[in-house]
Amino acid sequence: MTLLDLCQRLEASSIGLLVRESTWGFQIVVALHLMGLVASVGTLCWFDLRLLGLSMTGNRISDVYRRLAPWMLTGFACMFVTGGMLFIGYATDAVGNTYFRLKLLAILGAGINAAVYHFVTERHRAEWDAAARPPGAVRLAGGISLSLWLLVILSGRMISYTMF
Amino acid sequence: MLESLQHSALASAISNSLWLTAGLSALHVVGFSLVSGGALVSNLRLLGVLFRERPIAEIAGPTRRGMAIGLLLSAITGALLFVPRARAASGNEFFQLKMTLLVGAVLMQFVVQRRLLDVRPDAPAFRIAGAIGLALWIGVGLAGCAFILLE
Repeated sequence: MTLLDLCQRLEASSIGLLVRESTWGFQIVVALHLMGLVASVGTLCWFDLRLLGLSMTGNRISDVYRRLAPWMLTGFACMFVTGGMLFIGYATDAVGNTYFRLKLLAILGAGINAAVYHFVTERHRAEWDAAARPPGAVRLAGGISLSLWLLVILSGRMISYTMF
Repeated sequence: MLESLQHSALASAISNSLWLTAGLSALHVVGFSLVSGGALVSNLRLLGVLFRERPIAEIAGPTRRGMAIGLLLSAITGALLFVPRARAASGNEFFQLKMTLLVGAVLMQFVVQRRLLDVRPDAPAFRIAGAIGLALWIGVGLAGCAFILLE
């Protein structure tokens, strides 16, 4: 089965049809995707700003993370579900769209950045958890995260202008 | 006046360029994310749901600044997106709803909640302000979605 076959199969699925052909399917999924953006990236940027030492510096970094995490993770779950549904509906056009590819690469990059932060950088957290201005590696993680999610949002918006 | 705005050179420049329109729209979403994320965090604090043992001002301050930057970005990009379709947009009821709710949300966030911090009433006042603020910002977001998705 080629990629094209897979895409066409996805588009023909019930989710694909819901997104593409039902009266309100597309609108509702896109609206949920935008609301999920608020909960995910909207809250994450406040954690990134803490990592950068620019905001809420009176709080321990681990505290900020712990409190925002439920909202961020719920938001990202929503983004992946709704984003997945949108992809299923327009798979063929999506895989060929430059901005979609860029968006996925940026998301992947953000994920790698997060993994490096959580599994490597955070090992020494006790030393800088309460620091108003964290060490360079921590600030870098925050800066990279903000930059990549900015790229995700920008390329994501460009998809609809270049795909239909 | 809206007609002349729609027929201005600026309007033509924007509507003739897909990249300009797309870019403005993309930056508008960035501003929206900054505003809404800040609105979510600050109003959840007022509701006593998030960061509840931190002083309100410690959360309200940074979020207000972030929201101000986001609002500036959204307002400028929004105004430029409005220009080429001024008449159609202002006649659209979802757009009107969005603008009305936006005024309310901004007043609640930057005026009312700011005053509450000075006056320091009991917790219920903050919770009510947080609930109304959250509802208004969610309303702005949904009205915005309806405006672009249902036109």
